Amino acid sequence: MSDEMKIGAYICKGCGIGDRLNTQQMATIAEREAKANVVREHDYLCNADGVAMIQKDIDEEGVNRVAIIACSRRAKTEAFNFDGVAVIRGNIREGVIWVRPDTEEAQETTQEMAEDYTRMAVFEARYQTPPKPSGQAGRNPHLLVVGGGISGMTAAIEAAKAGYQVTLVEKEAELGGTAGKLFKRVPNAHPFKDPMDTGVEALKAAIEADDRITVHTSSTITKTSGAPGRFSVDITRESGETITENVGAIIQASGFKPYDANNLPELGYGKSPDVVTQIELEALAKAANGGPIKRPSDGKEVESVVFVQCAGQRSDKEGHLPYCSGFCCNASIKQAMYFKDANPNVDTVVLYTDLRTPGAGGEDFYRAGQEKGVIFTKGTVSEVETGGGLKVKFKDLILDEDTEAQPDLVVLATGTVPNSGVDIEEVPQNEPGEWESDPNSVLNLAYRQGKDLPLLKHGFNDSHFICFPYETRRTGIYTAGPVRRPMDIQQAIEDATGAALKSIQAIENAAQGRAAHPRSGDLSYPSFRKEGCTQCKRCTVECPFGAIDEDEERYPQFNESRCRRCGTCMGACPVRVISFENYSVDSVGQQIKNIEIPDEFDEKPRILVLACENDAYPALDMAAMKGIEYSAFARVIPVRCLGSVNTIWVTDALNTGYDGVVLMGCQKGENYQCHFVKGSEMAHYRMSKVDDTLEQLNLEKERVETYEVAITDVERAPKLINDMAETIEKIGMSPFKF
Amino acid sequence: MSNLNTQMIEKYRNSFLREVEANVEEGEWVKMCMQCGVCSGSCPFGPHWEHPPQEIFMMIRAGKRDDVLTSDSMWMCTSCYNCIVRCPRGLPITHIMHGLAHYAHRLGLAPKENPTHKFAIKFWDNLTRTGRVNELKLGLALYFMNGFSEGIKTSLKMKDIGLGMWKTKRLSPMEIVGGHKCKDVSGLHKILAKAREIEESKAQKFSG
Amino acid sequence: MSEIVATNQTILVVGGGISGMTAALEAAECGKQVILLEKNPSLGGRVSQLYRYFPKMCHPTCGVEINYRRIKANRNLRVITMAEVASVSGDEGNYQVKVKISPRYVNENCTACGECSKAVEAEFDDEYNYGLGKRKGAYLPYAMAYPQRYVIDPRILGSDDAGKAKAACKYDAIDLEQQEQEVDLNVGAIIWATGWRPYDAAKIQPYGYDRIANVITSVEFERMADPYGPTGGKILRPSDGKEAKDIAFIQCAGSRDRNHLKHCSRICCMASLKQTHYVREKYGDDGKATIYYIDIRAIDRIDDFHRKVKEDPNVTFVKSKVASIVEDKATGNPVLRGVNTEGYHRYENPHDLVVLAVGMEPSVPADQFPADVTINEEGFIEPTSQGAIFAAGCSSDALDVNRAVQSATASALRAIQVVNRVAGMEG
Repeated sequence: MSDEMKIGAYICKGCGIGDRLNTQQMATIAEREAKANVVREHDYLCNADGVAMIQKDIDEEGVNRVAIIACSRRAKTEAFNFDGVAVIRGNIREGVIWVRPDTEEAQETTQEMAEDYTRMAVFEARYQTPPKPSGQAGRNPHLLVVGGGISGMTAAIEAAKAGYQVTLVEKEAELGGTAGKLFKRVPNAHPFKDPMDTGVEALKAAIEADDRITVHTSSTITKTSGAPGRFSVDITRESGETITENVGAIIQASGFKPYDANNLPELGYGKSPDVVTQIELEALAKAANGGPIKRPSDGKEVESVVFVQCAGQRSDKEGHLPYCSGFCCNASIKQAMYFKDANPNVDTVVLYTDLRTPGAGGEDFYRAGQEKGVIFTKGTVSEVETGGGLKVKFKDLILDEDTEAQPDLVVLATGTVPNSGVDIEEVPQNEPGEWESDPNSVLNLAYRQGKDLPLLKHGFNDSHFICFPYETRRTGIYTAGPVRRPMDIQQAIEDATGAALKSIQAIENAAQGRAAHPRSGDLSYPSFRKEGCTQCKRCTVECPFGAIDEDEERYPQFNESRCRRCGTCMGACPVRVISFENYSVDSVGQQIKNIEIPDEFDEKPRILVLACENDAYPALDMAAMKGIEYSAFARVIPVRCLGSVNTIWVTDALNTGYDGVVLMGCQKGENYQCHFVKGSEMAHYRMSKVDDTLEQLNLEKERVETYEVAITDVERAPKLINDMAETIEKIGMSPFKF
Repeated sequence: MSNLNTQMIEKYRNSFLREVEANVEEGEWVKMCMQCGVCSGSCPFGPHWEHPPQEIFMMIRAGKRDDVLTSDSMWMCTSCYNCIVRCPRGLPITHIMHGLAHYAHRLGLAPKENPTHKFAIKFWDNLTRTGRVNELKLGLALYFMNGFSEGIKTSLKMKDIGLGMWKTKRLSPMEIVGGHKCKDVSGLHKILAKAREIEESKAQKFSG
Repeated sequence: MSEIVATNQTILVVGGGISGMTAALEAAECGKQVILLEKNPSLGGRVSQLYRYFPKMCHPTCGVEINYRRIKANRNLRVITMAEVASVSGDEGNYQVKVKISPRYVNENCTACGECSKAVEAEFDDEYNYGLGKRKGAYLPYAMAYPQRYVIDPRILGSDDAGKAKAACKYDAIDLEQQEQEVDLNVGAIIWATGWRPYDAAKIQPYGYDRIANVITSVEFERMADPYGPTGGKILRPSDGKEAKDIAFIQCAGSRDRNHLKHCSRICCMASLKQTHYVREKYGDDGKATIYYIDIRAIDRIDDFHRKVKEDPNVTFVKSKVASIVEDKATGNPVLRGVNTEGYHRYENPHDLVVLAVGMEPSVPADQFPADVTINEEGFIEPTSQGAIFAAGCSSDALDVNRAVQSATASALRAIQVVNRVAGMEG
């Protein structure tokens, strides 16, 4: 796209637009008022002929901003995919004729609506500049894996198989992690009947054999700075010796710590050596190596064992884990098999409340355990007495009675605690220019927002999104394995392979200067005007992805490849110095300012609707498809995220004479749906401050409403607009019409 | 308490499940139950159970030997096979029930006054004597099971059916003097003796 | 249809549900050439028919929208709908795939204006709503369908309706002469993401799905709860249209049962727990739910959700596999019979409506795979160590959405490893 601006406005008459609207009038407005350089109407713009017409103008007339005034930007997207130019969509189908009745009395306001959308499209086009490379892009096909357990080793091997270099860092002296401490693992393939080899040795051998993988054991990460494509990582050995590696992406596979069973004295842990955790039983099984397992207290061969499931888990009790660790039911079945396989006469009882062995393999393995004679009893354990032999007191829930067992050994299925480093909400980052690594941190990120990844529920570094399990709040850094979510080996292997893909993708995105999803492929990039910046730090603090650092002078430092292009920084900036080439305070602000505001006495209010492009805008589109009507006074502008809404847009709108403003963003709070994590929440917060402005202007605060709107709010979204129209009817028109 | 019973208690100390697996027909299936209860819910005799099948299985696993073997529950089964058809784990529940009943009987623990238990004994004795069921004797033995006057009353009540059977040659009054038999009665008796011998030696051999 | 370009560095993804879309997008966003095949007229798969996801209670269409936008923006990805794989030959790095493309009778000219649908009179059972409602003979599969293009039901061909549809279209988008096509593709690796289908509830004879109007399946219940569904989001009894406020959920309807599906379908416990929220959402304190279960498998950190539902006084949990359902002729109520095995309590409970939490069955029957893959006893594809056909999502196991997406992302890498090897690419 050339810098010399040439705007083409193309008005479609198809899908009934030509029948309902005076497109000629719109064309005149585009040309005379909005000053588009080329204006054309077409009967059917999205067909081959219409597209060819536009392409011809691009090729021959030098049109480089294309304003298509037709259907929603969500429709016919591929047809209007022109290379090298900015494409803007004015929505007069879903946005106008489909939400307005086809009646004579509605005609005038409907036409006004379409005319405004014409103005808005041309003005939006005017404020597009061609995305230029930031100079930060670069390809570094090398990734760092932190953690040498099954997840980390798998990620390293799988990435290397795709042709990438890997540096694998493990804090222990040996690779293997928790799985390396196991005697055997739960089977992963048909017939799911017997415990199988952990596979750790094979993974170690594969790593050894692969010259694309470099391993650092007894080492930790003491500093990580940079961004995807250009991370710089300090790896420090136990001896204190530090090397620096440059990598393109990072996988954090830091695993879990076993839950501290000392919190469970009621279950006899710590009181008798014959009460052990699952991981401790693995050590006993390893020592027995297929022979009879001996109990720790006196070395007697175990003849009876009770497994207590959910020990310290799924409980709100102080010091317990509120979640289920997912793998323990299968693990207990596997461990019971250790006993049964060595000697079928050993009594093995699993006390459970819900036996969780999901999927095809899980149920087969449960049956295999039963076939081997493992007894499963639905019951809750109240106490394990340790004086004079073990006594497990429990309530048998099926026989509905309190009873007890006196086994030689008790195994507690305690859960996992993620090894997720420091909680950045609690541990402040060093000031810019100063650096000190934190021994409790896994990554020691030199990011302004903190040293590790933000934690989700229960301390896991998980994604909050069901559809996007690898969504991360630090672009280019992916967690894999049980640090992300409680999981078994099988899932950890899948997870690590997926994380390796995402890392590779981050490397390729960084190389091209492309955004990661949800704005995949976006090449624009936020920049700021240093002269205007007041160093208020709002952008650094509010960026949901920690993409912005501060330099030693305390100016913001944008990192392109960490940025997700949501515009939350732009919305935050009180002096409006942050903008994207294709999305800026002006690209929206000028649309707002350049509509026609009728005279106060015309009784034609104007309502500005700023709708999140992810959920609210599609909801309005679908309402239109269903033929749900809404007020002809609304002017809807899609925004990247409600977080990108700068309050200046709202004050400008009110100053320009709009009578009401409706903001529609995604769900915020604990179960947030905001695709940019905090955007909607920030917007709600900022709008709560708009009341002061309204007061200054002497306007009623009902004129600005902020809502959470879901993509399914097909009925509700139009209703919210109509509610505003009603409110205006009640409180009257804005006095600010000039 | 029978001698066999004491032997078995001694042998399977602490593990009634293993005792069941070794001595009860299809007993090795008991451990496969996952306590869904569909058998108990599907049984047409439902409300009359003291312990429905799934509970019996859990009791076996919990080592409740006396409660299980002296229960009249497994004598309730009428072999409708609803439970077998519906069991998601494929347990041959009907067979296990009969197996348990038989085992309890062998140990002398079966409830003495349970009518189906009594019927089973009478039926077996009747059948094995000649190798053929003597309908008349079996019927009368059942009518008089609970005393003479009860027997007279029941016989009178059933007389029309008896006459009907006689007319259609389903029942002969002559049966009372001996009745029909299979060709080689003594051969049959030898077979049955041998079968019992095998069964007992099998139980002895099983080390659990 | 414009020419389809494929080489042995192309990745073919079979199935356009959440797993297939994810695998295709993740690979394409790494810069790989990808072809995505979908048998139905629209992408979206099962998730597009769900009202909400557990445990966040968010709307699946939200993620679907994002994925559609990613697809629209990505030129490495070619989507072909109404396409099925007929055969696969060749080997890792060089597969020949025959693809059968059924006619849609609507071409790229379609603007989704909807005039054809208005003109047509014939109606058919709406697949999107599992047959709970009707749709026209010219239709958009659902509001968000991708591609956003209408379909002509072949059953109206040759009727007046076909002519009416054609006449109503101003854009020359309806082409009644379209024929089935067969296309040969050369690809380097294949991701198999054909997903699952709900187990046929009519096969569970004692539950009377085929006899009792007020016994429905969990997938049908999802459609009922959806404001875009056949009841406009109202939970109503099929027998009489009355509000169903007291609802029974039967777990393991077809799962964990050697008479039906031997495996645990993993998602159904959470799905029913989620659906108890629908009951409460629509009816507040008047809404009651009872869950009949064997084990509640709310695995890992989503057990939170289970525990919250357990605290709801209007939700009752009964450990029992329901034995049978009979219909109370007077009220239309299904009456559930069985035994609560926690302490042996026999019950005979009438409810307004019964929802069967039906199991997950692989979409492609084991004997009908057109490609050489190893299938386990449950019908799922086993992880393979040879060849380059990789299972993604529910074709590999019964998975929830989160795990399916993980699996799809992993399978994208496995495919990339193959095509990178073919290309001789080293980091």
